[in-house]
Amino acid sequence: MRPAAIIGTGQTDHGRCRDDVSQPELIREAANRALADADISPADVDAVVLANMEMFEGRALPELWVGEGAFANRKPCLKVATGGTSGTSSCIAGFHQAASGLFDVVLVIGFEKHSEGHTQTGMALTDPFWDRGVASGALGNFALSISQYMAERGVTREQAARVAVKSRRNAAMNPHAHLKDANATIEDVMSSRVLAHPVRLMDMCPQSDGAAAIVIASAEHAAKLCSRPAWIKAAATRHEQPYIGDIDRRLLTMRTLRDAAQSVYARTGIREPLKQLDVAEIYEPVTYAELAWYEVLGFCAEGEAGRLIEDGITEMGGELPVNPSGGVLCANPVGATGVIRVAEAAAQILRRAGAHQIDGARTALATGYGVYAWADALILGSTP
Amino acid sequence: MMREESIRIPFRFAAGRAGSRMLAALRDDKQILGSHCPVCVRTLAPARPFCPECGGENLKTVELGSGAVLVSWTDMPGRGLFALVRPDGADTAMIHKLLGQSGDFHIGARLRAVFAAERRGHIADLQGFEPDPGSAA
Ligand SMILES: [Zn+2]
Repeated sequence: MRPAAIIGTGQTDHGRCRDDVSQPELIREAANRALADADISPADVDAVVLANMEMFEGRALPELWVGEGAFANRKPCLKVATGGTSGTSSCIAGFHQAASGLFDVVLVIGFEKHSEGHTQTGMALTDPFWDRGVASGALGNFALSISQYMAERGVTREQAARVAVKSRRNAAMNPHAHLKDANATIEDVMSSRVLAHPVRLMDMCPQSDGAAAIVIASAEHAAKLCSRPAWIKAAATRHEQPYIGDIDRRLLTMRTLRDAAQSVYARTGIREPLKQLDVAEIYEPVTYAELAWYEVLGFCAEGEAGRLIEDGITEMGGELPVNPSGGVLCANPVGATGVIRVAEAAAQILRRAGAHQIDGARTALATGYGVYAWADALILGSTP
Repeated sequence: MMREESIRIPFRFAAGRAGSRMLAALRDDKQILGSHCPVCVRTLAPARPFCPECGGENLKTVELGSGAVLVSWTDMPGRGLFALVRPDGADTAMIHKLLGQSGDFHIGARLRAVFAAERRGHIADLQGFEPDPGSAA
């Protein structure tokens, strides 16, 4: 393995419905922005990795239709589809391609156009025997875990609402975010419609149309092409038992995310994440998950997540800003969502995050979450 | 310009050896089956062909009780109540429907399985779980 780094990122303007562009055009929008940010041309790209949930848009082999939008013509093109982790896993696949010496410059693009399909149907087309017919969908599955989390750790609805408020406030500074509201209040969240007890509308991530891309380059190319690359210091991915009932206290324990984080922390000398990380872009599908995963990621002790959000530790000006972009709660084109986490973490190191830049960010964490409990974790840094 | 259409996808899936045993037991005997992994010392519900934790295939089919414990629940307006329930004799939970009103349930409550009168070898042969009035908990 040789070092590899992210030298450019690009995102579409995510929204509820991007009827103004086709899927290939949506992808091209993100790809063009990433190549411009990296200051390279399509001919400089050696390989392409795509992330997308094909059943969500009701068509198979997305790479056939959208590949040209991703500049994949006559290049090696790989598709990654692992639920919510697709985006982070595709970034890790691109990292492995560049770090292994296989390719020098890899373009990774994730996308989803939820408005063009039926996400619930796509979700229901998983296990045909034990899930279909009795399953409650992504929303109900989260809600089941959250009931346990609240009962066991005493986390409150108000503490969860603070996560949604932070997210929307941060998103107001992010031109790409789908949901933005600098003036959102705890009351707004707590009075929003119940989707699945105890989860309310503003606790839950939206379904967005959008694409995001990153350019990964080998050490030699990164040093030549970029004055301040975002080095990928470590990456880990963990899968989990497939049936939801098999995983005891899923949201609380999230052993896959814990293992993945511990693996990347160990390889980068991080013993005190709250102190040593400058910023984190975590995949938080629901407010309560962000709280539960503060604990899993070692930002605080078990049961302390509520205090962390109340004390503002994870706000923009806090000790460890979490999701300055507004996170998944404010933009969720699923296949792109993990790429967005990595792109946002990289933009912080590249010093290109604009209004939501964290001053002096040198070490960043990005995570992915998918299906019932799959997890990815990456550490990015300003030095190889 | 938008193109609007819906597609119908026919399918037929084999339930497999373990799945077929499980579905036949629901249909013929109103019985929930599980699988015990001697390596993990863990009994899984529903029955399955290999242990999801260690990958082992040497599993023993066991008959689980029709009583269960409520592990967690949610109420989805317009869709009903869903739960993770741990059948007696199992170490893991099954996702299924709760029969009753929101107020009837609390984590840790005793439940009992309710079976459909007409059964066809489907997870819905088990209609769901209801509060067990015979239990003090
Ligand atoms: Zn086992």
